[in-house]
Amino acid sequence: MSARDDILAAIRRNLRREPSDASAIRTAAEALALEARESRPSLPGCDLAEAFAQRLVSAKVVGASVSHIGHFSEAPGEVRNYCDAHGLAYEMALQPDPALQQLDWSDFTITASIGADQTLAVAKARWAIAETGTLAFHSGPFSPTLMSFLPLHHICFIERERILAHLEDYAAAEAGATPPRNVNLITGASGTADIEGALVRGAHGPAFLHAVIVDAGEL
Amino acid sequence: MTRAEADTFKARAGAALADHHLKTAIDRTTRTARQKREAAVAGWPGFSRARDLGARIKDHVIENLDHYLIEFERNARASGAIVHYASSAGDACQIVVRICRDAKARTVTRSKSMLGEEIGLPHALDEAGLGRVETDLAEHIVQLAHDRPSHIIWPALHRTREDIAALFREHHHTPQNSDDIPAMVASARRQLRGGFLAADVGISGANFLIADSGAVCTVTNEGNAELTTTIPRVHIVTAGIEKLVPSLPHAFALLRLLVRSATGADITQYTTFHCGPKRAGDLDGPEAFHIVLVDNGRARMLGQGLAEMLRCLRCGACMNHCVVYNEIGGHAYGGVYPGPMGAVLTPVLDGLETSRDLVHACTLNGRCQEVCPVDIPLPAMLRGWREKSWAQGLEPVTQRSFIGLWAFVVTRPRLYRLGAGLAIKTLRLFARDGWIRALPLASGWTSTRDFPKPARRTFMAQYQAQKRNRGL
Repeated sequence: MSARDDILAAIRRNLRREPSDASAIRTAAEALALEARESRPSLPGCDLAEAFAQRLVSAKVVGASVSHIGHFSEAPGEVRNYCDAHGLAYEMALQPDPALQQLDWSDFTITASIGADQTLAVAKARWAIAETGTLAFHSGPFSPTLMSFLPLHHICFIERERILAHLEDYAAAEAGATPPRNVNLITGASGTADIEGALVRGAHGPAFLHAVIVDAGEL
Repeated sequence: MTRAEADTFKARAGAALADHHLKTAIDRTTRTARQKREAAVAGWPGFSRARDLGARIKDHVIENLDHYLIEFERNARASGAIVHYASSAGDACQIVVRICRDAKARTVTRSKSMLGEEIGLPHALDEAGLGRVETDLAEHIVQLAHDRPSHIIWPALHRTREDIAALFREHHHTPQNSDDIPAMVASARRQLRGGFLAADVGISGANFLIADSGAVCTVTNEGNAELTTTIPRVHIVTAGIEKLVPSLPHAFALLRLLVRSATGADITQYTTFHCGPKRAGDLDGPEAFHIVLVDNGRARMLGQGLAEMLRCLRCGACMNHCVVYNEIGGHAYGGVYPGPMGAVLTPVLDGLETSRDLVHACTLNGRCQEVCPVDIPLPAMLRGWREKSWAQGLEPVTQRSFIGLWAFVVTRPRLYRLGAGLAIKTLRLFARDGWIRALPLASGWTSTRDFPKPARRTFMAQYQAQKRNRGL
């Protein structure tokens, strides 16, 4: 017998039963998932974009800041402001997302791929989650995973209408779709508490995460 | 002391108790952990309901483990993953080493995984001559110090910042200039970045295996898991079969409990789902994705009355709140998993004969179960192991005869009262100012604490006297 057969046989022997009915298992699992909605943390009474922004700058999230723009066309100006405020050169890795690529970045030196010691990366998140102050990225031809992990500063644009309430709403929004190689749920900057439990930001990933809420979405 | 004596739990615990430096290191981390967990739980009114639900989600998976294993395997294969099964720790290591050799790997990055520690993977990779780079900051510290993890969330908790500063100065190419913690973290970042970029294979564990998609979930705060799993040509996951959950919403329900219980945060900085290898058109990601599903005693636990232990999310709250762990730290336990959950699991992994002391190293105060995010009855399980140890004749002869004598006396009330009366009279002879500071044959007790002077008469004698006085 293979290790697989051994393990399955040992499970069934020790559970003292035969394989059970798949549809009964599915019904029980769905009931449990539904029940989770009753005990999940509640959100403040304001709108989702405000709840997300409040959460991101609260003590619950490490190393994050937030700003607003009206339209994507204002994105280059917002990145310039950020660079000026942090004393950064106008150099960055830009996520190859069409919504970002079509903008006027003529002030910037742009690299298509991300370098190992990249200072700044600019990207568009797929979703945000207000409950936790989380930005969701899916890997794909327009969104390399490493763009979220190698830079020191990470600026993420998020359209207002793509801000969800709870973690479960993300699951519902993507239900039925083929999952990408990576789903990255990112909440604040990289941190570690491995030395005496003291929280330090910028362990391996970015030390700064800046979210920009785009109020009107695409032009 | 001989080597065998030095390696007993009592000797290790004794050495740990005498080490004030260790006590400082433990206190600095576990105190913060307890405070932050308490604040996180207080800030979530639904916590106790969510905790009850979390236990039921895990029980549902455990009761249908075969079903979910098959469903996960089917979906993982469909996403392009190569799924392996390992019955034992040795088999699991062999599979991982073989994949590394087939990939002609020279260096391997590893993101912290307790399952990896459980199966002895660091050692197996070293034996196979592979360059191993531990990327979690604490595991990096442990690797530099040729040490073992002493906590499942903070593996280097036994090291103070002063120890770590010295280690980094000795081993890092460009160590920190000052010994404050941020400078030390920056030094590790510089040191490890090259390791991330050069690795041929990246190995991670799994916090959840999502059955309905075949995805593997990892949670970290540092971002080391993603650098480990994205840059190398090959990504290998080693996971215990109990990590299965039916779907993404179930993982989220458990994630809320796990993170609050572990660090007091509401979510980790990085929660990542890995599904299959790099897709067509993807700009990064591994060419090959292997998942090694490990049993290593888990299926057997189902039939040993230990099924509830398979709920464990590996949050570490039980050890942070354990009075014994907080005195002796993780190394004294001798196994991979320390603290209350370790005392239950080590007999499964290493055998009860060599670990029977662990199941006694517990005051049964119940704190571990109270703070467990999935309500594992740890004290009852430890009592269960004590009963097995007694039934299998593993308790030492002195203890067995003493308990035999005790049982003989307490089941005979007249004899018991006579004995108790004599005992307190004798004990009172050793008392000074209301306390007994030294007792012959009982220095194990009196060398570290005083014993109160007993009352003049036994409880039963006083009770009878009062009854007579009241004319009852």
